[in-house]
Amino acid sequence: MREIIASLSKMSKAFPTGQGEFLALKNIDLEFGKGEFTGIVGPSGSGKTTLLNIIGSLDVPSKGEAKVLGQLTSQLNARQSAELRSRHIGFIFQTYNLLPVYSVYENVEFPLILLKMKPEERKKAVLDALEWVGLMDKLKSRPAQLSGGQCQRVAIARAMVKKPELVLADEPTANLDTENSLHILKTMQTLNENLGTSFIFSTHDDKVIKFLRRIVRLTDGEVASDDLQTGV
Amino acid sequence: MIFKLAFKNIVGNGWRSLINVFILAIVLIGIIWAEGMWFSWLNLAKTQEKQWEYAAGIMRAKNYDPFDAFSWEKGYAAIPSAVKPYVESGRIVPVLFSPAVIYPQGRMLNAVVKGIPRHQKLVRIPSEAFTHASEGAVPAVIGKAMARTARLKEGDTFTLRLKNSGDAFDALELQVVKIMNCPVPSLDIGTVWIDLDSLLAVKQLGSVATVLVLGDFGLTRLPAPSFRVIPESEFFADLNQMVKTKASGQAMPFSMLIFLAMLAIFDTQALAIFKLRKEIGMLSALGMTKTQIIRLFTVEGLLYILLAIIATPILGFPLFYYFAVHGFSLPQGYDSFGIAGFDEPLKFHYNLPLIICTLLFLILLTVFVSWLPARKIAKLKPTDALRGK
Repeated sequence: MREIIASLSKMSKAFPTGQGEFLALKNIDLEFGKGEFTGIVGPSGSGKTTLLNIIGSLDVPSKGEAKVLGQLTSQLNARQSAELRSRHIGFIFQTYNLLPVYSVYENVEFPLILLKMKPEERKKAVLDALEWVGLMDKLKSRPAQLSGGQCQRVAIARAMVKKPELVLADEPTANLDTENSLHILKTMQTLNENLGTSFIFSTHDDKVIKFLRRIVRLTDGEVASDDLQTGV
Repeated sequence: MIFKLAFKNIVGNGWRSLINVFILAIVLIGIIWAEGMWFSWLNLAKTQEKQWEYAAGIMRAKNYDPFDAFSWEKGYAAIPSAVKPYVESGRIVPVLFSPAVIYPQGRMLNAVVKGIPRHQKLVRIPSEAFTHASEGAVPAVIGKAMARTARLKEGDTFTLRLKNSGDAFDALELQVVKIMNCPVPSLDIGTVWIDLDSLLAVKQLGSVATVLVLGDFGLTRLPAPSFRVIPESEFFADLNQMVKTKASGQAMPFSMLIFLAMLAIFDTQALAIFKLRKEIGMLSALGMTKTQIIRLFTVEGLLYILLAIIATPILGFPLFYYFAVHGFSLPQGYDSFGIAGFDEPLKFHYNLPLIICTLLFLILLTVFVSWLPARKIAKLKPTDALRGK
C-alpha cells in the first residue's frame, strides 16, 4: 500500500495585491507518496514555488488543507512548523543559500546542531553526507571558494544529512550548466533509491524532467496533468 | 551553536565589526579612566582632609554651627575633665575658632583665627612654626590662598582684631612665620592659624575649644556632653557631593560616546539583518525558530561588547598604567576655585566593583540595542526572507 507523506486537498493560496488578491494556487488536490521522485513542472509564475513552500510548511494555504507527515500545516504554530522542518524536511534552493561564513563541513553540520545531535554522531553523519555528494576534499572550503555545482552539492548534503523523509528542491539546476545539472540529478536519484527519501522538485528544466518518475504540470496555479513516466 | 554562528557572523562582517569593537573599547577606556580619576580624587581628598583636619574623628562644640557665622563668636565649650588627660597626652587636639578682622598693610579683611596647640602632631597644620617670631608679635601661619588674598608673605606683620569673651575688642600683632601649602581650602582661605594659648589669652578664656580632633575614633565614647561627634559621612558630605556633581558633568561627553557606540552597533545589526535576509530565510527553512534567530542577532551584539571588554585592557593598559604610576598634578592656583587641590600627584586607583557595575550596565545596554533591530525578524515571513524581500 502506498504510504502518503504529503497531501493537498482543495487547497488554494491567494496573495494580497494592490487591486485585491492574486490566486497563485487554485483548488489543488495532490498526494505524494513515500520514496517518490516527483517534479512540479510549469512555466514561471505557475505556482511551483508556492506549492513547495506550503508542503515545506514555510507558508500556509488560504483555503483547503495541506497535510505533511500527518500534520495539518495550517494548525501548526511557528515553533511546531520549525520543528517539522528541522526534523523531517530538507530544502534545496536554486541559489543554494549556504551560510557564507561557514565552511562546507559546518554548513552541512548545521541542521544536526539544530537537532542537538551528539558531536560524534554528527561528525559521522556529516562525513557520510559529504561522501554521497563527492565533496570530501572540500571540507574546510568556504562557499565563496566553490563552483556553483559544488555549492549545490553542499546544499544537497545539507538537506540530506539528517536523512529527512522529504526533500523539497526548488529549481535546483537552474543556475547550473548541463554537466553539473546531470551530476546533481544523478546524486539525488541515487540518494532517493538508496535512502528511500521522497523528492519533490519544482522545475521547468528539460534535463530534470527526464529524470522524474512522476510529473505534475501546473498552469496558472492549477494542476493541468499528473503523469507517471515509465522507463526512467 | 548560536555563539559560534554569531562569532562567525562578526568575523564575516570584517572591518565593520573591528570598528565597532574599537569604538566600544575606546568608550570603555574613557569611562574606566574617568571613573579612576574621580574615585582616586575622592580618596586622595579624603586622605588629605584626614591628615590635615579630621584625623580619626572630630567632636564639635554643640553651640558652634559652621553654617551660621553668628554662632562663631561664642561657638566653643569647656573641655570636659574626662578629655583633658588625652589633650595633655596629645591624643586629642583642641582647636578654637574665632571670627576676626585683619589689617594687612592697612587694608581690612574678615578672617577666622584658629588656635591650635603648638606641640600637636595629630594633623599636618605646621604648628611647630609658632616658636619663632620677632619680639612683641604672635607667630601666625597662613595658607597660600590666604597669602595671595591678603598679599602677605613670610615675615610680614599685621594686626588682628577680635572680640574677647567679655565682648570687648582686643587686638594682636601677628607675624607670618610660615606660608603653608595646604590642600584643604577650608583650612586656608580666610584663615589665620596661631598658637591656642595665645588665642585663649587674648579671648580671656580658660580651657575651651570649638572642635576636638581625635587621634582614635574610640575616643568619641568619652563623656563630653557639650560636644557632638561628627561622623565621617557628615564631615565628608560636601566633598562627596562635589565629586558626584563633577562626575555627573563629566558623564555628558561619555553618554554621547556611549550613544554613538550604540548607534554603530544598532546600524551594523540593522544592516546585517537587511543584508542577510536570504540567510535568515534559510535558517528558518532549516528549522530555526524566530526566537532562536532573534537570539542569534542579539548574541552578536553581546559579542561586540565582550570583545571590547577583552580589547579594553590591551588597548588601555599604557594609559591606565601611566596614570596609576605617575598620576597627574593639579595646576597651580587650582585651590582658588574652592576645590580641594593636592600637594602630591593624583595617582589613579581603579575601583573594581564600580568598573564591573559599569561593564554590566554597558552589556545590558548593548544587548538591548542589538535586540531592537533583531525584533524585525519576528515580522519577517520565511518565504519573503528567502526571496530577499
